[in-house]
Amino acid sequence: MVNLTIDDKQVTVPRTATIYEAAKLNGINIPILCHDKKLKPFGACRMCLVEVEQMKGRQIPACTTPVTEGMIIRTSTPDIIKARKMVLELLLLNHPLDCPVCDKSGDCDLQNLTYEYQVNSNRFTDEKFHHEIDYNNPLIERDMNRCVLCGKCARVCDEIVSYGALTFIDRGIETKIGCEFDDALNCEFCGSCIAVCPVGSLLARPFKHKARWWAMTKQKSVCGYCGTGCNLTLGVKDNKVLTTIYDEDQGFHKGQLCVRGRFGYQFINSDKRLTKPLVKKNGVLTESTWDEALEIVAGRLKVGSSVAALATPRLTNEELSLFRTMLLENVGTKNFDHAAGYAHSALTEGFAGSFGATASSANILDIQKSDFLLVIKTDAYETHPVVGFEVNMAVKNKGVRLSILSDKRGKLSKLPDAKTLVHMPGSEVAVLNAIAKIIIDEKLVDASAASIAGYAEFEKALSAFSAEAIAAQVGIVASDIKKLASEYAAAEKALIIFPTGQAYTGHNADLANAVANLAILTGKYGKEGCGVLCLSEKNNSQGAVDMGFYAQDGGLNSLQILDACAAGTVKTLFIAGENPLVSYPDRNRVKAALDAVEFLIVSELFLTETAATADVVLPVCSYAEKDGTFTSTDRRVQYIKPAIRKNVQIKTDFEIFSDLISRLGGQAPLRPAAQFEKIASNTPGYFGMSHITLQKDGAFAPVKITPAFVTPHALATVAPETGKLALVTGSALYHSGSLSQYGEGPMHVCPEGYIELSRSDASANKIAENDMITVSSATGSMQLKAKVSLRMPAGVVFAPYHFSTAPINTIWSGAPVTMVTLVK
Amino acid sequence: MSDVVAQQATEQEPEIDLSIADAIIDKYIDLPGNLMPVLQAAQDEYGYIPRLVADHIAERLNVYPSQIYGVLTFYAQFHLKPRGRFIIRVCVGTACHVQGAPRIVETFFDKLGIGHAETTPDLRFTFEKVACLGACGMAPLAMVNDSTYGGMTVQKVDDIVADYSQRPLK
Repeated sequence: MVNLTIDDKQVTVPRTATIYEAAKLNGINIPILCHDKKLKPFGACRMCLVEVEQMKGRQIPACTTPVTEGMIIRTSTPDIIKARKMVLELLLLNHPLDCPVCDKSGDCDLQNLTYEYQVNSNRFTDEKFHHEIDYNNPLIERDMNRCVLCGKCARVCDEIVSYGALTFIDRGIETKIGCEFDDALNCEFCGSCIAVCPVGSLLARPFKHKARWWAMTKQKSVCGYCGTGCNLTLGVKDNKVLTTIYDEDQGFHKGQLCVRGRFGYQFINSDKRLTKPLVKKNGVLTESTWDEALEIVAGRLKVGSSVAALATPRLTNEELSLFRTMLLENVGTKNFDHAAGYAHSALTEGFAGSFGATASSANILDIQKSDFLLVIKTDAYETHPVVGFEVNMAVKNKGVRLSILSDKRGKLSKLPDAKTLVHMPGSEVAVLNAIAKIIIDEKLVDASAASIAGYAEFEKALSAFSAEAIAAQVGIVASDIKKLASEYAAAEKALIIFPTGQAYTGHNADLANAVANLAILTGKYGKEGCGVLCLSEKNNSQGAVDMGFYAQDGGLNSLQILDACAAGTVKTLFIAGENPLVSYPDRNRVKAALDAVEFLIVSELFLTETAATADVVLPVCSYAEKDGTFTSTDRRVQYIKPAIRKNVQIKTDFEIFSDLISRLGGQAPLRPAAQFEKIASNTPGYFGMSHITLQKDGAFAPVKITPAFVTPHALATVAPETGKLALVTGSALYHSGSLSQYGEGPMHVCPEGYIELSRSDASANKIAENDMITVSSATGSMQLKAKVSLRMPAGVVFAPYHFSTAPINTIWSGAPVTMVTLVK
Repeated sequence: MSDVVAQQATEQEPEIDLSIADAIIDKYIDLPGNLMPVLQAAQDEYGYIPRLVADHIAERLNVYPSQIYGVLTFYAQFHLKPRGRFIIRVCVGTACHVQGAPRIVETFFDKLGIGHAETTPDLRFTFEKVACLGACGMAPLAMVNDSTYGGMTVQKVDDIVADYSQRPLK
């Protein structure tokens, strides 16, 4: 710690602090335009000039000057104020001063400082800039005439997002922020640059001229897309969510968001939302009343054991837990599940066996505290972009080493010194087992491992996984596998990360066991910066597992439920928010089940493909209209409260389940808070939590680990077939499940399905970018637009699964790798 | 646009051989801070930095394309458009100005049909005004590539243009 004096106040601050940070820590506000607490100091704007007695006569920038013992600092002497006024005059010299029509007005640092320092005239004159405004993309408007060259956009894009779309171009008075060769902006559109821009140079186009800053209320919430659990501030006016607002103090991610979180909110106020219950009459879904619809549903549910249910892990913990209670106690069925029945198997089967807990052993905060990261599939960036930012920052700022085991290259592969081992699709588990064998053979095993349950059988079973044999099978050099094994074992702290989801069928219990075995073998779990982190797909996937909303004790899982529908043993199916017709594998199988089931109930925000086939459709609330809790992928339980009032004609899922329970003769809690009390009393890790204690930052539900080795079994390899390509499915960066199709932002930049292929396969098949390609597999055939990319290895093609207009499940029946042919 | 001009325009974008860039990158790949030497060597080879080469360097060195463009536009030494085989520089510094440099410049403009920092469509000449060439005793001064021409006159401009118009382009 260092002692110094700021504005006659004695303060003690950490040795690493800058003058700016020291002042801020002690409640002294130094004006600044180019500073963001997540970015490295830059010293561009010269607003933060202060006087230091020991550096007599000089005005020095507070943001780049480290504190030293005994410094005497004055932050607002008459000379300093004069200097700051001049800085503002110079900034305003070329600034267009079009505040009345600028969306930043009210939240603009330049405007606020001009007001604060009363710069009401300018001693200088000069021409304004005449840069062309970039309107070429639908999400981010770039008006370089308003720019103050603080460089925050370029820095956030490099330091955190690691995309590098923006940079300073040209020199001197000509300097501006631009893209390569002064092109229009074409990036991943996370909008981080908009968030940090202190002026109106970078604006969210969907929000243009929607509301003045001061006319909106700012509502805290938690993002409803992926499992990262990012916190959001929603800008609300007239009961409509109009934008997302940056708050650098919010969440572990300090306000950073991805394209979905920032631009995907439009589904909340979409005019496609369902507003009235629908009941099928004479074969047509007809508007009805709640009483009629719920009475019909309750009547069907009374049948009991022929009832089954699927729920989306986008519901709150309270809703999932109440739904489960209703099904078990009031309906009398164990047949309920979520996420197609397998997307949660890494947790419910994998980690349950390896750790004795259905949760990851590490959390997102461990990423930056680790020494070595092993990411399984580069898709971890696409599925969980803000977790990807943490990886970026760990590698770029903290020097954490990164190795990637993947069936294709990706954005993470481009990080400094990242090593990507590209293996044949579907063979990651074999490689991980080979790594375990090397660790044992090279005697790199932690002292604790031999005494852990299952070690002997595990060691024995690994004999089938010699590096040489596996290397030949999976297309990696054996020495690379050995190197990865020794690096992982040698790292003091190491963390393994892998995404899961409905499109990642290969990321199952076997994979979870394989990575957990590595962590247990080397003792890298249960400590800071160590462990394994499973990235669950949806915002409450971990919560759905914690609430026990999956097939247990002989209950049917999702796919078995569908088959039972087709076979006629399940007669009533209640689908709460899932859209199996689009997002479950094998569309024909799903369609046959939904056609065959006697009675289909769907509660949904939208009339999805699945809802359109239902007998009763119940309109429900989005996350922005209800209260409850979500549990992020790393078991952070977070409370959400309604950001807007719900339409009086719709209900929350919670209200629907409560109502149904009373119609079925039971007693339901009236409010989610009461249901959460029950959850807190009987869910491991949730003890002591309540809506009130969770309101500020949420809380981690601790995970108790009982390690055990799970013996790997022989693995089926996917044999390449001549003339065919290996299709791997997954998530696109802009989408999450099928919900983001109703968010206008993501749909602007990624409106349709595509098939991504390597340059060599493209030229071999004479396929060019954007050609329409007929993709055929054993189960079907469909048209997809071609996307030619550098990252795909020859023989492997990738397709995202989110789109109703091009449902990939027409050609994909749930295998991790599907052999396909492409015809132009 | 006449056919001749159109033809000239297409001639300006010859096929770019990326193997030249690869050879340069291979030479510097392990050198920390290799971006500047790679760009300089690429410019020596190609005469300018074509976009294709910039993108290729970005990919191979794992540097953002935007960052390369930032460097290319910051330093006056880099050129983003093809340059002429013969670079004519005329000094417009104080001594040369007094000795009549503006007329020399005007005459070059007339003769070549191009302005400052421009290149003839046949890629033979690039013309530049420069501040000082450090040989004020020879004012007014012109240079063509590495050859110096002191005591410039309007007649000498004609001679220089005629001379270099005869020389082979390769």
